[in-house]
Amino acid sequence: MSSLGVALPSAARGILSSCRSSLRETSVNPSFSVLQQVRGLKSNPQAKGKGKKAAKPSRRGPLEFRQKSLKDMDQFALCDAMRYLRAIEVGRNPTVIKYEAHIRLRTRKDGPVIRNMIRFPHAVQTESRICVICPPDSKQAKDALAAGAVLVGEDEVFEAVKAGRIEFDRCLAHPDSVPALNKAGLGRILGPRGLMPSAKAGTVVEDVASRVEDLRGGTVYRERDAVIRLPIGQLGFSPEQLRDNLRTTIEQIKKDASGLNDRINKEIYEIVLSTSHGPGFSLNGEFKTDDSPETPALTGV
Amino acid sequence: MVNLFKRMRKLKTMLDVRVGTGAAILPSVANASKEFPAVTRLHLTYAQKIYGGHQGARHFWRNCLPRLKFYNPGIPMTVKQTTDQDIPATLSIYFADRVGSTATAIAGNKQITDKHAPAPQNGEKLATVNVKDLSYQEIWNRVQASTGANEVPATEEDQAEAKKFAAIDEKAIHDRERIRAKRQAKKDQERMLAEARGEVEKSQTA
Repeated sequence: MSSLGVALPSAARGILSSCRSSLRETSVNPSFSVLQQVRGLKSNPQAKGKGKKAAKPSRRGPLEFRQKSLKDMDQFALCDAMRYLRAIEVGRNPTVIKYEAHIRLRTRKDGPVIRNMIRFPHAVQTESRICVICPPDSKQAKDALAAGAVLVGEDEVFEAVKAGRIEFDRCLAHPDSVPALNKAGLGRILGPRGLMPSAKAGTVVEDVASRVEDLRGGTVYRERDAVIRLPIGQLGFSPEQLRDNLRTTIEQIKKDASGLNDRINKEIYEIVLSTSHGPGFSLNGEFKTDDSPETPALTGV
Repeated sequence: MVNLFKRMRKLKTMLDVRVGTGAAILPSVANASKEFPAVTRLHLTYAQKIYGGHQGARHFWRNCLPRLKFYNPGIPMTVKQTTDQDIPATLSIYFADRVGSTATAIAGNKQITDKHAPAPQNGEKLATVNVKDLSYQEIWNRVQASTGANEVPATEEDQAEAKKFAAIDEKAIHDRERIRAKRQAKKDQERMLAEARGEVEKSQTA
């Protein structure tokens, strides 16, 4: 046996190298399989069967996500796609309905995925309505309102909450207002909804306005099955606003992809624009065609 | 992501947006006449449930408004769905400077007001049409008569495409039937086998 081990590795190494690349990570230790191979090749029929099993991994699909050729796909300029989508979403609330981008990547099935946060030039999310509890006439109140908080104040907020009108999704508080907040006894109402401001959750902050901006402007995205999906605009946006947001998104995703790893290669393969209820329009990268309407006509409701 | 062919098939809803009832161009400032002034806005209000004659208004929104919006992308169109079932379903048409005689006649003498409709701005004149108990086709006829909208005929390509999809739908009925029969046959086979096996077991245990 030992003589075999000495005599054969050169032969076995060739076999091994041919099968190593297709060995699963979870499969047996390579040195062990060398031994098995050697034995199997030589004489023992039983071991031969075993060795074959170890050498030939179970069938796997392709390593990359299969992306078909787009040559048969109808592709549209941004303004044309918007015209259709706006027609399909007619009569809906233009701040609630969102344009969504689906960015498809050419990438391997394993390996790292892109995940990051983006801040658009034109803020998309209005659905995170933010309430700020701080003294109503203070500077912070003004800043918070300017940053886009929907509800600012102390007593009127408390009364509204007690009356059951919770018209916000996030709640921040200024440290000066915390005693008043505790006295109002809102923990029972806000607590179960996860809205009660606390220093631990980072919702009791000195600089309320910048926090509001952070909460409003940022969108988290990640790659799932080679697609990154994220809302990129409200239905009321003009084509220019949407173009700016789309451009920012693509640039950032390219940057993310190049920043991952030298060996990982991800490239953008297709960009699809849709809305909350609409079908997906594959974009061809152009802004408008001769037939598309003027851009002011594609803005608002 | 969903495969390309499914996506492309879904994208053919575009055809529905281009062709059908309501595919028409409303008069704009450029081609307005005395009888048919430019239309600046549309607003539709109806109740949430269909009883009480609110069905047609909803169908109008579903069927006609997308086409109108496609051919008149610059005209704001809003829809309000109320929970108040007793209000009349109304369609408010906003004209640039005056209301034509046809529109006045259609709106009727009995003026109704729609409190959900946005207020007319800079010289807009409002014609409010009561669309309660009307089908969407009837509503569309009224809209067309009062605004003088120019219908856009389907192009030849669109007609051909529509024909193709009609043929596919036709074929789908046969295909569904064929597959159903196949599946049923397979199920019957399996059931018979299971029954036979059960009998064998019964005879063995007995």
